Amino acid sequence: MAVVEVENLRYRYPRQTTLALDGVSFTAEPGEFVGIVGPNLSGKSTLCHALIGLVPHFYKGAIGGRVVVAGLDVHQTPVAEMSRRVGLVFQNPFTQITGAKLTVYEEVAFGLEYTGAPREEMAPRIEEALRLLGLWELRDRSPFALSGGQMQRLAIASVLAMRPQVLVLDEPTSQLDPAGTREVFDAAATLCRQGITVIMAEHKIELLAEHADRLLVLHQGRLVADGTPRDILTRAASRELPGEPAPAPPVTQAAASLDWRMPGGGFPVTLAEAVAVGRPIVERHSGVDSR
Amino acid sequence: MRVSLYVSADTWLHRLDPMTKLLMAATGVTLTFILTRTESAAVLLAIFLAALGTGRVLRQAASVFAGVGIVAATFLIVQGLVHPTNATPLIALGPVVLYTEGLLIGLRLALRLYNILSATLILVLATNPADLTEALVRRGAPARLGYVIMSVLQIIPTMVAQSAAITDAQRSRGMETEGSLWTRAKAFLPLMGPLVTSSLIATEERALALEVRGFGSTVRPTFLRAETRPPHAVPVRILCVLTLALGATGRWVLGW
Repeated sequence: MAVVEVENLRYRYPRQTTLALDGVSFTAEPGEFVGIVGPNLSGKSTLCHALIGLVPHFYKGAIGGRVVVAGLDVHQTPVAEMSRRVGLVFQNPFTQITGAKLTVYEEVAFGLEYTGAPREEMAPRIEEALRLLGLWELRDRSPFALSGGQMQRLAIASVLAMRPQVLVLDEPTSQLDPAGTREVFDAAATLCRQGITVIMAEHKIELLAEHADRLLVLHQGRLVADGTPRDILTRAASRELPGEPAPAPPVTQAAASLDWRMPGGGFPVTLAEAVAVGRPIVERHSGVDSR
Repeated sequence: MRVSLYVSADTWLHRLDPMTKLLMAATGVTLTFILTRTESAAVLLAIFLAALGTGRVLRQAASVFAGVGIVAATFLIVQGLVHPTNATPLIALGPVVLYTEGLLIGLRLALRLYNILSATLILVLATNPADLTEALVRRGAPARLGYVIMSVLQIIPTMVAQSAAITDAQRSRGMETEGSLWTRAKAFLPLMGPLVTSSLIATEERALALEVRGFGSTVRPTFLRAETRPPHAVPVRILCVLTLALGATGRWVLGW
């Protein structure tokens, strides 16, 4: 049964004339990793915010359609109530630190305290979240003393401790270096394996291709494609998506130009796939074993 | 950079719970207003200094005392020079005469100033602001107020670092930020503009982050740590109340 159901979602920000989201519909299953791609101003962040109710409760504006997440109608449920079922992580790791806590351990406790979690449940939940995100050894440090990647993982741990069924990440790696980016993607993949639905808006499409089960492509507020990474990126490499909202990663573009196709159809979306497909072709043409 | 004056240590004063230290500070300030005589103020100051000394924060308190020394000196000089009851010259430097009566009144005022400061420092220097804030929220203070206090203490240092980064960025574009008063004044707006703008953006982002962490929840908050009160907190509290009663009796019954 779908844990996220979005049906014909339309939204316009206050004092704007154009729709930020225009007829978006999709569902997501428990444990699924859904990537959202599209150029800037395509509606990725707005969609992320709509899944926890910041749109429209915080931003106001005009909204239509239906959003049900973890069994709650988002438009009828306060954000504070939604936050027990849905976690949202933003782009900027620094501004997600509450500033009210002195240590990493206490920072993770913040959400639990304000949602009234029983004290006896806090310690195991905090430890579990910190260990899962690889921050247990840093638990006594000041949150402001962490690196960008560590801060972002702390933000994820903080929402994770609230045991959400759905974790929404809005371009969580945009300010991180490659190592920090990898840490965040690995953490998201781990959470999916534990049954948490991860929805991630991101520009780093090659990493989404590696981790996501599905990609949603947004363009000017409309959902223009929904499919597996291979399906979406094959269409992107073939320039079949309107407005080129999701440029395929270089490996897929190279495979497309060489017409290297996977056995089941479509182009490789990761380097490993390209090597697996291309090696026999190269060997056949060169007459040598390239291993 | 630290905004809080809190000094971490393991002393009887530090081990006291924040509410007991708040009571100590409140008692000290109240007694300062009840007991107005110079002798009483001197005795109170001796008690406060003893508390600060045994709490191993006297050195930090001394630097605060030095900071307000100019105010205390002003009390002495102004009262010594111009108080209406001045009659007995004590020191004469040419036409400038300091009188005994005024100096004694100035001394009393200075002692009371230091008493209020000392009583407050007992709380401020020996209490982790996070613990104090939490103790107040537990007793019904608005959680938002607690958040504001703590976040200001934590975020100001990062804003200072941010302003340094903006200063460097503007310098790299050729702007002069050092030199004469006029040069600095000209640099003020280009420095403040980005700082204020980025702070406003960060404030909205942080507000969103707090919202999704349940900050707007209407349920009563719970707390990570159980509230503890050391065994010596009760005697200290009783002593505070008794001292307050003694002070009031002394002032209004015994005429201290």
